[in-house]
Amino acid sequence: MKKIKYTLVILFALNGIMCLAQETINAADPNTFLFGGGQGSNFAVLDLQPIAIIDAEPDPSNSLNFGISTSSLEAGLPVTGAGGSSINEDTWLNFTYRALNNAKARVFVYTNQAVPTDIVIKIQIIATANVGGVYNPNQNTNPITISNFEQILVYDFDSGYTGDGLGTGYQIRCTIENPNGVSLPPGFEIIYEIK
Amino acid sequence: MKKIFVLTVLLFLNYTFTQAQILPGTLDVSGMPRFIQSIDDVVLEAGADDTTVGFESNFDSTLIGFVLDPLSTPPTSSELNCEANVYRYSVYINTVNAPANVILEAKTTFNSGQRFPTVSTYDDMPMQPLGPRDLTPSNGGNYIVVPNNASQAIKIMEFIGCRTDIPIQFRIKPSALTPAGTHNFEINYTVTASMTL
Repeated sequence: MKKIKYTLVILFALNGIMCLAQETINAADPNTFLFGGGQGSNFAVLDLQPIAIIDAEPDPSNSLNFGISTSSLEAGLPVTGAGGSSINEDTWLNFTYRALNNAKARVFVYTNQAVPTDIVIKIQIIATANVGGVYNPNQNTNPITISNFEQILVYDFDSGYTGDGLGTGYQIRCTIENPNGVSLPPGFEIIYEIK
Repeated sequence: MKKIFVLTVLLFLNYTFTQAQILPGTLDVSGMPRFIQSIDDVVLEAGADDTTVGFESNFDSTLIGFVLDPLSTPPTSSELNCEANVYRYSVYINTVNAPANVILEAKTTFNSGQRFPTVSTYDDMPMQPLGPRDLTPSNGGNYIVVPNNASQAIKIMEFIGCRTDIPIQFRIKPSALTPAGTHNFEINYTVTASMTL
């Protein structure tokens, strides 16, 4: 009697497993719908938008500040630390790109107004990382002295996405050479553009 | 042990017998769903994939129904056959040639569609062998991912008795890796019938 009960329990358990597994069928096999069932279909159209968006992280707090620390200024004493160069490596570029007709995209860098003659600003991709993205970096590794003319920061790449946030995508080094301590004009921006 | 063997044989015979008794029916699929991504449906955060957004079709972008075929001898209508022969139907869905990296999901809601016929003597039976002529969606009525593989068609719903105008709603999550532009593909529905619970 015990043996029969044991067998029944196993049969019920197997039946339960089979029932769960039956959530899918092989619809290509006519035996699955031969008895009283049927098949039908319709056609669907999917129309997708192209995408080309880029972001300089941390966003929105991605302003870069260079120059003299006001806390070190003291009336009557000489101004020090005005010259030389400053380096910032806190910015990461993220992009999402969906191509139309398999067209490749590039990332360009430029400024929204002329760079003062006494200042040299260089942008360089110093690292790439991929956290949850799918993309081919293909970056320009050379330092680029930027101006208000577009220059290529990332060469041709296909559809993809870098992952979002700091620590993924392209790490940017921004170097400012400012020997005379000149200020940048108000509203000065470094623009990264994907197209 | 002998008893179990006899029971197994009886169950098998019963299954074979009941499958042979099920009358043939026809699955009707209507509507040509057009999934058009608007500019508002596109990912806004650079670096994230477009699958994080997604967009939905109308709730009734496809209507399906299943009724028993009329018989010639003796001549009976679909309506009469559906009233006299109540079965349990399971509906499975899959796509064919859907673009890569697109997640297509589908769902319907509890008791969507119309009973056929609307009123039946079955409904008044004190003991309904298969339960009421209701529709039960899979996954509690939430979206399920539609496989792009006929050998893995997934169950989207089951219903008791013939039923018409069952709406299917879709949600599309296209990856940025899927090219922009127009894609055409097929959505297949497979219905299986049984007389058992």
